[in-house]
Amino acid sequence: MELAQERDAGTNVISPAGRVDGSNSAEFHESLMAALSGDDNRVILDMGGIDYISSAGLRVLLLLAQHLGGNSTPFAVCSLAASVDEVFRISGFNQIITVFGTLDEAKAQLA
Amino acid sequence: MRRSLNITPVPGAAAAEALPRIVAFVEEMAELDDWAPDLVLRSNLILEELILNTLTHGRTSGLSDIEITLESGENSVTITLVDDGTAFDPLNDEPSPDTDLPLQERSIGGLGLHLVRTMAEDLAYKHADGKNHLTLVARAGA
Repeated sequence: MELAQERDAGTNVISPAGRVDGSNSAEFHESLMAALSGDDNRVILDMGGIDYISSAGLRVLLLLAQHLGGNSTPFAVCSLAASVDEVFRISGFNQIITVFGTLDEAKAQLA
Repeated sequence: MRRSLNITPVPGAAAAEALPRIVAFVEEMAELDDWAPDLVLRSNLILEELILNTLTHGRTSGLSDIEITLESGENSVTITLVDDGTAFDPLNDEPSPDTDLPLQERSIGGLGLHLVRTMAEDLAYKHADGKNHLTLVARAGA
């Protein structure tokens, strides 16, 4: 699991790549939490590099969304692969986490 | 083609340690029978959720073997799981989570089996000869 990060004027864009399953979800959680800063005005998780996520990975996204929601920090995900989008829809995550088609859309519209 | 893999629980080992073998088994079969990429992803997801569920939810009492059988079909794969652990019907014994709850009230419990029940087709469970028998079909495409 690789994780790239880019900060621009308070927008924290985190871009993980690889598979998120039960064998690396704890590491995924740790990396995501370490990538956050109290100075973030908003957080965008670019999922374009993830083609597989199981419920173990969804749990991490839920914890992240709940953490940021508790701080009232705007949070969105973007660029979901079709397979990840399917998992989001079945689990109802598209109703609790803001999803944008592309990173540009997320940057322009997340407030 | 039809092939089987047996997973033997290792006392004290993390359940997720079984995953790499399952992924390798699926990918080998996928390559031999030329599965569509989304069929590989769905098969992996279904197997991960079901097997981790069996290995992590206290149903390992008496569990000595989980046999996974995959049989390639036309744009589909039939998955059969047989285990000798505690009787558990993954289709009915755990309620589906409320996927309409707001963010701060959501929990992850039950989501894995909900994914399986929604994504797979022709699901059938029986407990026979002291074993759990589950068959289901993963299909490529929407």
